[in-house]
Amino acid sequence: MLNKLSIPLGILITITIFLVVGKGIAAELPPLTHKLTTLKKVINAPSLRLKNLDDEIIDIKDLKGKVVVVNFWATWCPPCRREMGSLERLHLATKDKNVVVLAVNIGEDVDTVFSFLGQVEPSPTFPMLFDPEAKSMSPWNVRGLPTTYIIDPNGTMIYRAIGGREFDHSDIQQAIIKLIKK
Amino acid sequence: MIKNIITLTVGLFSLSCFADTPQAVDFNKTTGAGTWSISRDGVHFSLTQILPEQAKAFYVNRGFTLQQIEPYISSCVYMAVLRNDNAAGTIHFISKNWPVQFNGKPHSLLPVNEWVKKLTTKTTKQSSLVAFRWAQFPPEQEYEPGGDWNQGMLSIGLPASSQFTITARWDIKGKAYEATLQGVQCAK
Repeated sequence: MLNKLSIPLGILITITIFLVVGKGIAAELPPLTHKLTTLKKVINAPSLRLKNLDDEIIDIKDLKGKVVVVNFWATWCPPCRREMGSLERLHLATKDKNVVVLAVNIGEDVDTVFSFLGQVEPSPTFPMLFDPEAKSMSPWNVRGLPTTYIIDPNGTMIYRAIGGREFDHSDIQQAIIKLIKK
Repeated sequence: MIKNIITLTVGLFSLSCFADTPQAVDFNKTTGAGTWSISRDGVHFSLTQILPEQAKAFYVNRGFTLQQIEPYISSCVYMAVLRNDNAAGTIHFISKNWPVQFNGKPHSLLPVNEWVKKLTTKTTKQSSLVAFRWAQFPPEQEYEPGGDWNQGMLSIGLPASSQFTITARWDIKGKAYEATLQGVQCAK
């Protein structure tokens, strides 16, 4: 009898879970995943030469030999804000392993970005670059914020993520570590 | 038996996570803003009302004057989300082609570049226009399965309190798919 009851009971539990969880899904923020897209075509990273918070020029071509994570973002972009802490945790976990995390802010000034960074936990310590006129968006094929590329030590774009991610997830960290060893 | 229940429950629940779900409507208890959402063929589509006061605060903080941004904030603005959870492949869309029906008649969405032109005056700050452009839902985009998505503002171009139907259309290698939200209301 217990076996006969197991199927209806299982369905009942499933329906209950689905109704309870499903009811809340519509109005909640979309979950951040940890899947990266492997780019099908071999494309070299476009040029990127921008000023950082200290008004110094950072040029991506000087980072050859390292894995580079390039994140395009803005303080007013909700998923950008949500993933920023995970980018810092990724930076802390990989900074001694030949990995550089760069965030390219679109259209904002140093004061706006600086005051936002203090609200992020943990507060980002990786380089923040500034693209006030959004000139890098077209060559980098960025159509929406946030967009993130991961570039191998040869300067080839390997992975892309459109929309927010949990960058400190072990799957992403392992994918990056593999690029260093490649 | 417990094992059977767990297996069945987990199995059915995983299937249901990204299965087609009918249209749902929720209203935020604090702001009163409504969200209309639906999932079809592994793709989630939702529209959340952005109240005119919220849109005004956002754009005035980005350097627009009230006079400059008024045509946009009074045009029935939503926070649109499209996410490729587990579609059969890469999805591609052009949002200006999404059909809208208002009072039984087709209604066209004003493309983002047209809004940018409309808002560009001699006194509009460049930084304000950059923020406006990139805060909008992408005019064209491709999402891979597994969670590529965007969240951005989408103007419907209708008066306050209007009710309409909108169909998000995308294709996978040329094969068309769609998800329709019915009875969506513009904020008052």
